[in-house]
Amino acid sequence: MSDLIFVKPGMSAREIVLAVRSLDGVCLTSVGMRDAGQSDFKNRHRIYDLKTLAPFYNGMGLFSAETHGGARWHVGVMNRRESPFEEGELLRGLMPNVLQQTLIRETNLFGYRPYPRNVIEHVVSRVDIDVWRCFSFLNDVRNMRTVAEVVMKRGRLFEPTISFTTSDWATNEYYLSVVKDIVALCGGTDEIVLCVKDMAGVGDVTRIGNLIDAIKQAYPEMVLNYHRHITDGLAIPAFISAARAGAAIFDVEEDSLVRFYGHSPILAVQAIFEESGIRVHIDREQAGRAVQKVREWIGAYEWAESPFKGFDHTVTQHRMPGGAFPSSFEQADKGEFLHLMPAILKVMSLYNRIVKYFDVTPGSQITWVTCSGIVNRYSKERGDAGVRHVTGLLMKFVEEKDQDLGAMEQHEQEELLQLFRTAPGDFRNLLLGSYGKLPVGWPADWVYQSTFGDEWEARMTERKDLSPLDLLKDDDMERLRRELTETIGRVPTEEEFILFLMHPKDAVAFIEFREKYGESPLVLPTTVWRSGLKRPGDRVDFELWGKPYSIEFVSVGAEHDGIIHVVMKVNNKTRVYAVETPRAKKAETRMAKGVNHIGAPINGNIWRIGNPERGPLKAGDIVHKGEEVINLEAMKMENAVLAPFDAQITEVCVRLNETVREGQLLFVIEKV
Amino acid sequence: MEKKIDRILIANRGVPAVRIMHTCRDRKIPTTAVYSDPDRLAHHVFMADAAVHIGEAPPVESYLNMDKMVDAALRSGSDAIHPGWGFLAENEAFAQKVIDAGLTWIGPSPEVIRMMGDKIQAKIIAQKANVPTIPGVSNVTDPSQISKWMDEEKVQFPIMIKASAGGGGKGMVKVENSGQIASGFAQARSEAKKSFGDETVLVEKYIERGRHIEVQIVADRHGNVVHLFERECTIQRRNQKIIEEAPSPTLDEGLRQELCSTAARLMQEIGYATAGTVEFIFDSATRKFYFLEVNTRLQVEHGITELITGLDIVGIMIDVAEGRKLPFTQADIHPNRWALEVRLNAEDPKTFSPSFGPVTRLQVPMGPNVRVASGVYEGADIPPYYDSLFMLLMSAGADRKDAIRVMDRSLGRNLRIEGVRTLQPLLLSIIRHPAFIEGDFSTRFIEEHMDELISMFREKSSEDEVLKIARYVAEISALGPQKWM
Repeated sequence: MSDLIFVKPGMSAREIVLAVRSLDGVCLTSVGMRDAGQSDFKNRHRIYDLKTLAPFYNGMGLFSAETHGGARWHVGVMNRRESPFEEGELLRGLMPNVLQQTLIRETNLFGYRPYPRNVIEHVVSRVDIDVWRCFSFLNDVRNMRTVAEVVMKRGRLFEPTISFTTSDWATNEYYLSVVKDIVALCGGTDEIVLCVKDMAGVGDVTRIGNLIDAIKQAYPEMVLNYHRHITDGLAIPAFISAARAGAAIFDVEEDSLVRFYGHSPILAVQAIFEESGIRVHIDREQAGRAVQKVREWIGAYEWAESPFKGFDHTVTQHRMPGGAFPSSFEQADKGEFLHLMPAILKVMSLYNRIVKYFDVTPGSQITWVTCSGIVNRYSKERGDAGVRHVTGLLMKFVEEKDQDLGAMEQHEQEELLQLFRTAPGDFRNLLLGSYGKLPVGWPADWVYQSTFGDEWEARMTERKDLSPLDLLKDDDMERLRRELTETIGRVPTEEEFILFLMHPKDAVAFIEFREKYGESPLVLPTTVWRSGLKRPGDRVDFELWGKPYSIEFVSVGAEHDGIIHVVMKVNNKTRVYAVETPRAKKAETRMAKGVNHIGAPINGNIWRIGNPERGPLKAGDIVHKGEEVINLEAMKMENAVLAPFDAQITEVCVRLNETVREGQLLFVIEKV
Repeated sequence: MEKKIDRILIANRGVPAVRIMHTCRDRKIPTTAVYSDPDRLAHHVFMADAAVHIGEAPPVESYLNMDKMVDAALRSGSDAIHPGWGFLAENEAFAQKVIDAGLTWIGPSPEVIRMMGDKIQAKIIAQKANVPTIPGVSNVTDPSQISKWMDEEKVQFPIMIKASAGGGGKGMVKVENSGQIASGFAQARSEAKKSFGDETVLVEKYIERGRHIEVQIVADRHGNVVHLFERECTIQRRNQKIIEEAPSPTLDEGLRQELCSTAARLMQEIGYATAGTVEFIFDSATRKFYFLEVNTRLQVEHGITELITGLDIVGIMIDVAEGRKLPFTQADIHPNRWALEVRLNAEDPKTFSPSFGPVTRLQVPMGPNVRVASGVYEGADIPPYYDSLFMLLMSAGADRKDAIRVMDRSLGRNLRIEGVRTLQPLLLSIIRHPAFIEGDFSTRFIEEHMDELISMFREKSSEDEVLKIARYVAEISALGPQKWM
């Protein structure tokens, strides 16, 4: 079995590349722990379940396991309440033989905006990942520089990635120019794996073989990975085509995880390769066990599956990538514009001929928000007729008139010049070069006019041709660290700080959640995590820090005044939990905030309002700085509260003998 | 003249009441508890053999009400009263009332209480007995007297204004500059009135970085005075002791003998009987000690002296009250251990803001060399009207290191209190602090190291963590899948 393990963590990038080159046949990257979940299950697969695959992965002979990155990081923090750091550490222990792989968005890292160089260096140097698949939605290789430098300096494997689409401009020459930039950036082909990222699954079988062949002709030693979503239904034939042309690594997932937007089934891929006379480096039996293991828990995620099922060959026109597909449909469903989806997809297919880039994060989000915004606007203003009108207008402009604005009627021209007026900020930033250079040049001037109105010429002069890496000023890391420290009321760990750098608001919510609920996300089975325990006697057993624990459901009471009492046994000891429902009456205690509020310094009892010299105080009275305004008694100790500055009392918020909480508002005052 | 005690009314609540009842049980003396409205279901009530309701929550209505107390004793057939500490413990009028009612007063005579209760007079007596005292001025009725005294005796700030009748940190205000004199004076007077019913205050120079050392005395009515060595109570917050130990890590053998025999001499001089304490402030810089006051009562921290000597001080108080002689002489007292005590107050460990309500879960430490004195049981309520102290935790060992180690285990691994916030994390940080371990500290230790102590708070245990998980399961079981998922 151990002869199957041909690459391992700790090997240098050069050794790994050499090992793949000397393989007889092809090898596989399992995306079962990342992209499979992202494409079809909204990234909700919990490490609790995924980790059950790790022992099989460990002996399977994979090239790598994609366990990290993409939106899994953000959804982990936001929805699963898991940190990518604890996931990585856990998997290290369970599959020490397996290279762990991430997907990183060049300057955007694991977030959605370009980060300055110092943030990139800070984050990339502290994330324990072996293979760094790095892509740019603009194929702007300049943006990869910092990630490449840090990864290669650490001796980890850098996997630069070209985003692939089909279009009249997306030719072999174009892609070879991108590869050339990559080879120049990485100092040759000996320490990298090059990935062709077909994120929507749009390359037809011939096109893919042709592109891989062109790259192999130019760089015979290049190790190539083909990453291919299955949405169009033609992924497996494309694999054969790519393998025959010389691609060495293929992305697959457990057959039992395969739905419609993710990747090809591992067992099927193994079988078709073998049948085609291409050796596949994998232990089929172990792979089969992992496939079987998935069946034990995948049923718990039905709620997370996209309700929009089925392959979609029209993806080759609208090009919405696998990762964005279900979430877009979900948004449409929530926003009650599901019926507009065909029109939106049509507008997307026209839009991406006007503004040319790759529909992958954050590009796919920009495309989605911009196009769904346009269609929704027309729908709101003019109903279905409006929707038909705008699609017709764009079809005429793009398909009939070949984007010649002058060839359109006067009123149509005027309408197009309003088309992007309400486009989102990210779209505007894209036009102004904040993300980098667009792959085949900036859009036509009318797009700027349409977006920025009268200011369009002035705004165009702000357009930047440099990479954001060269434009963005370093963030003040110490200030950010202080900000987080103040928000959470303690010094954050380095890992918490990195989460905060990526997604500030969600990271704080995550930290607060974990302070309150501890390791719940890591130890609870998915059904309990999602729905709790239901019947008396239901219990959940787990180990925490090496000791056994058991939580058993005893009973749940009826709701009274927004409170439900839940009785549970925790390791045989009965406990009662008062759970607030959304209807709970929040005892409205006004708390002091801001300079004009005087708050209670401690919990206590108000025994004197005012002071002995001038007696009780009331609204309208003037008090002087340092004058005692109220006195609290707690445990027989007196606590004088003094006026912070000369002020007039505008409100006395408590009564004599009232018991107050620490921080409760006592007075509202106004500076005089 | 010996007189056997048949039933003791304990004029107190919480920790002291429970402590005294333990000895009474040892000696098969039935006890009567008293309780106010909020204490109806309190721990001490159920520890006792009988309980008498004495009034509403405010102390003046109940635990400070002398007539009700004496009446309760008579009604319940008690023939003696033990006052515990706090409340009426050092109230000469109460002691007199008890005696006048024909009951046995388990404490020093009213005359001695009066003499020592008046801080000014106590100081004069100490001076007469050649006991060193701190510079100060007594009987202050106007803030201007303070400034005048400071000018005349060239006293520098800070100074301390305190209730003449005080103790326990109540009615004590530290003044740092002349601007604070008036307000500090007013506050001390008002607190003095509230706590002790007497607004007389005195002012003393405040000894910076002083250490608080006291000597435990036991004496009988036959003129025998024996000291049970010293305790160090330097770790304080807001002038209230929170960690005590015996012996003092500060003293060498010579100073120890001098301090203890000085204390015994003073007590002999005033004709003291029963248990009492002579408190000193020790100036580490000059290695001089000054008389502070005599506590004419059983003290909170008496337990650590019991641990190092093996004696039962409450038992001795009962013996003395019955008229018996001390069964030992000074030469029989050989402390052979180190003991530590921490006070678990129901307070926020960072802000000291009081925390009250039910103790929802209580798991007390067990194991070798631990002593727990609890005023509450699991489920008991901590009412907001009284002292925040609800439990004492003591540890013992062959030496100081041992005692600290046992305390670390008890505080860090065994003790669980849920429902109210307590000083537990702060106490643990203190006993783990290198300066504490070295014995290098003053009464200002906590204020000087507060941030550092707080930063040492976070120690996770799987016990706490599993409760967070249980709360999550409870919420989701009640509410179902959540939007954010």
